[in-house]
Amino acid sequence: MAALLLSIVLPSCDNEENQPSGSGTVTVKFDNRVGDTNLNLDTEDYPYSNDLGQEFKVSMLRYYISNVKLKRTDGTYYEDEVSDDGSKGYYLVDEANPESTELNLKNVPAGDYDELSFVIGVDASRVTEGVQTGALYPANDMFWSWNAGYIFVRFEGFSPVPTETNNGVIYHIGGYKSDPSNPGLVDNIRERKIAITEGLSVKKDANPMIHLKMDLLEFFKDPNAIDFSSNASRHSPAACTDIVENYVKAFTFDHIHE
Amino acid sequence: MVICTTILAAGITGCTDEEKPVEPAFSFRKPVNFPEPVYTFENNPLTKDGFELGRRLFYDPILSSDGTISCSSCHQPVRAFSDPAHVFSIGVENRMGNRNAPPIFNLAFQKFFFWDGGVNHLDFVPINPIENELEMNSSLSSVLERLNQDDYYSGQFRKVFGKDTVDSRQMLHAMSQFLLMLVSDNSSYDKYIRNEGYLLSASEARGLNLFGQKCAHCHATDLFSDGSFRNNGLDPAFSNDPGRSRITESGADLGKFKVPSLRNIALTEPYMHDGRFASLQEVLDHYSDGVQYSPTLDPFLNQEGTLGIPLSEQEKQDIIAFLLTLTDESFIGNSQFYDPF
Repeated sequence: MAALLLSIVLPSCDNEENQPSGSGTVTVKFDNRVGDTNLNLDTEDYPYSNDLGQEFKVSMLRYYISNVKLKRTDGTYYEDEVSDDGSKGYYLVDEANPESTELNLKNVPAGDYDELSFVIGVDASRVTEGVQTGALYPANDMFWSWNAGYIFVRFEGFSPVPTETNNGVIYHIGGYKSDPSNPGLVDNIRERKIAITEGLSVKKDANPMIHLKMDLLEFFKDPNAIDFSSNASRHSPAACTDIVENYVKAFTFDHIHE
Repeated sequence: MVICTTILAAGITGCTDEEKPVEPAFSFRKPVNFPEPVYTFENNPLTKDGFELGRRLFYDPILSSDGTISCSSCHQPVRAFSDPAHVFSIGVENRMGNRNAPPIFNLAFQKFFFWDGGVNHLDFVPINPIENELEMNSSLSSVLERLNQDDYYSGQFRKVFGKDTVDSRQMLHAMSQFLLMLVSDNSSYDKYIRNEGYLLSASEARGLNLFGQKCAHCHATDLFSDGSFRNNGLDPAFSNDPGRSRITESGADLGKFKVPSLRNIALTEPYMHDGRFASLQEVLDHYSDGVQYSPTLDPFLNQEGTLGIPLSEQEKQDIIAFLLTLTDESFIGNSQFYDPF
């Protein structure tokens, strides 16, 4: 408990304006890509192929990012503020909304950082505390009504391969519940740690950008080849564990804009 | 009783529009014989106006895609907010649901909602019927659009929550405020157990005693449910409705459903998740003679190789007599919970 309090208190201390070295804003850009090409939504043809050679196109890609942290070279952390009502610290990245692909981390203390980490998904407390606000509005269509909880990652597209779903490939991925007495409950919350290989130097009033690549092909590749021909419409935590295992690696460091 | 009085007192002042009166204390009171509530009140402070807004939403078909279905279509106050007419309730375009609409009361004390417990916080409960295509067939975003275009709601929401646009948080908080106040704690049984002047008849007293031995294992506490999920032996297999395992995706939960409260049970027939039993007699006949084995059958119903709960006809009559003392006339008669339109 003490450790938890400390971790909450520390970054807000950093936010004080009387920090001698000052602070800046760090933008984290999520660049959604498909292999070497940019991700385009709602294309006429099927421009992409998974590892099994099955063609596909994409109509929707949204995901929640939360609990963003930056590790300093001395091993301490900047933690993005998380508010009780969910209005701060939770981000919905939506490929259809370019603004949403850039997260602004405010009041990052000046210093040198070498690792970015974040959670793909929304932790249990945002459900057990009741209805939330900001990116977590249930009206954002990223919420399961019948099995209350957030859809962490929502992928929708089409492929010529599946027939039972009228060519639809729909993966709604969530699942935050865990209970030792119930092994059936699947917790799909994953943390991704990404080394900032170039190093990130934050200075007073500067606004550097960490440019990340998010490669959609990784969703379907390794270690689990995802076959679009069956089980192409998935809407439950257990149905998506293979994709979750894959997609953690989809997020990688690309470069820094000063 | 305390709760009803509070709302009544608050109701008198709530009608004045000109001068805003000092709002009387409006708070949730835990009945003395109930366990502690689990709702996160600290995130959603109750107010009289918030309650009234929630009440209006509950009775307003604006929540459904075609403006025909309100919460009250399937949850009517005179039946302790259950459906008086249907085994499976009817949604938009006469679509038929697939589970029996449960009654609504004492929600502040529940950790899980719906027969399969898929929702684990009261705030999220209304989203389920709003978005279910067999029920209201709408979406939260389109409901919010309609509320924001409605002069009454946009004005009232601004008054209660102080924001210019109605959002899903305010809407669901208002609905929770109404639902939380639906406390049923004033049955004859309550008056007996709290020494408020009700004396059990000989049959009711025998029924209470039998209930303690044969039913309270699951229908525990003065909520008359332990809140757990159990397979009570309705069928040998559950291909139609897997129950709790739909949520947990665990075979160990196949055929398990939430143990319902037995308060107001005389008003809420038909019984079970699929409404298969029309009377309390049929329910007790099931427990004495109808329990069917399956691997997830509750162990309490399968003791020493005997399925079910042994009950004589006299014992059944006594238990039913006791169950009738759980009807709360003041709850179903409380006009503060009725249709405001």
